[in-house]
Amino acid sequence: MIQARSLHTTLIIAVLALTGTMAAAPAPTPESVIDARHAGFKKMGGAMKAMKEQLQTDAPSKPILAASAQIIAATAPGQAKLFPAGTGPASGIKTDALANIWTDRANFDAQMAKLAVESGKLVTVVASGDMTAINAQYKATGATCGGCHRVFRADT
Amino acid sequence: MPKVNAQAWDLPIRLFHWLLVALMGFSWWSGEQHLMDWHRRSGYAILGLLLFRLYWGFVGSPTARFSQFVRGPRATLAYVRSLNTPAYRAPPGHNPLGGWSVLAILAALLMMVTAGLFAVDVDGLESGPLSDYLSFDQGRSAAHLHGYVFKLLLALTVLHVAAILFYLVRMRQNLITPMITGRGQTIVAEAAETTTAYPMRLIGGIVIVTICTYAIARGFRL
Repeated sequence: MIQARSLHTTLIIAVLALTGTMAAAPAPTPESVIDARHAGFKKMGGAMKAMKEQLQTDAPSKPILAASAQIIAATAPGQAKLFPAGTGPASGIKTDALANIWTDRANFDAQMAKLAVESGKLVTVVASGDMTAINAQYKATGATCGGCHRVFRADT
Repeated sequence: MPKVNAQAWDLPIRLFHWLLVALMGFSWWSGEQHLMDWHRRSGYAILGLLLFRLYWGFVGSPTARFSQFVRGPRATLAYVRSLNTPAYRAPPGHNPLGGWSVLAILAALLMMVTAGLFAVDVDGLESGPLSDYLSFDQGRSAAHLHGYVFKLLLALTVLHVAAILFYLVRMRQNLITPMITGRGQTIVAEAAETTTAYPMRLIGGIVIVTICTYAIARGFRL
């Protein structure tokens, strides 16, 4: 399941990388890119919710924590690449992405890279089984989501 | 048999009203500031107030009771027509139109609180206590509903204040002071009957409402 998802993400990245270099290949439509990034964010949001549900119980399920952390870590690195020019609010397609993603790109990419790092750490910490550390890293990962959303996402 | 300068609004009703005003403002502010622990606490307090108001609508003093102020469409229409006549006399308690306004505001607030209880934020990080019973997508829908009902509540609040100004300026009737002091026209006939049993009903209501609110705030994980 997780491997299939990360494979899917890898494929999207591969397709994007290829279309960037090969002019002959058909470019993905803005709609399909926006759909892909929505799906990715929803997958990560769902995993964060699943983790939270476990963390607030007295005996959190280790397999659910591990699988959820893995989903976030596998999805996060590909998301930054799903914001090509022409997929912002000016595209007319329904998106909460704000225009400053494209005008403040270095900052946006840095935030996305931070998510990849924090979610990677989350996987490691979950594997360690130290509940205090897991809780702390869960909050740190969530803070990365929220921090970026406040700057680059329409507050709806 | 209305009488001027009696107890129009009992103390629980006045406390309910002004605490609600303060908490609605605080909920908005804490939500805007992403202070979600405070936003949740504020929501629980509003939930408690709403549950109490529903309870008080059955056992409170006469002007608090649904049976006194919820009127049919004919009575409401007749009241609206009477506003423009020289014979107009302000009825005690909620007038028939105001009664519908009370119901609309209570219904919108209940919807608001319920949606909030099930809501999940975009990060899956912050959520209402009942969101565990829903999927991420369903929780997001609850959050969106929470946002739509906020706009509805804003509209109802504007209407509420506009109506008070209308009575103040056009009808020369001050509705604000009675809601602070409690003094105004009331229904005297039943007042004596209710005040005797009133402290026990009040304490009983507060106990019941506190237990219910606590259980919901804990997501029924007791």
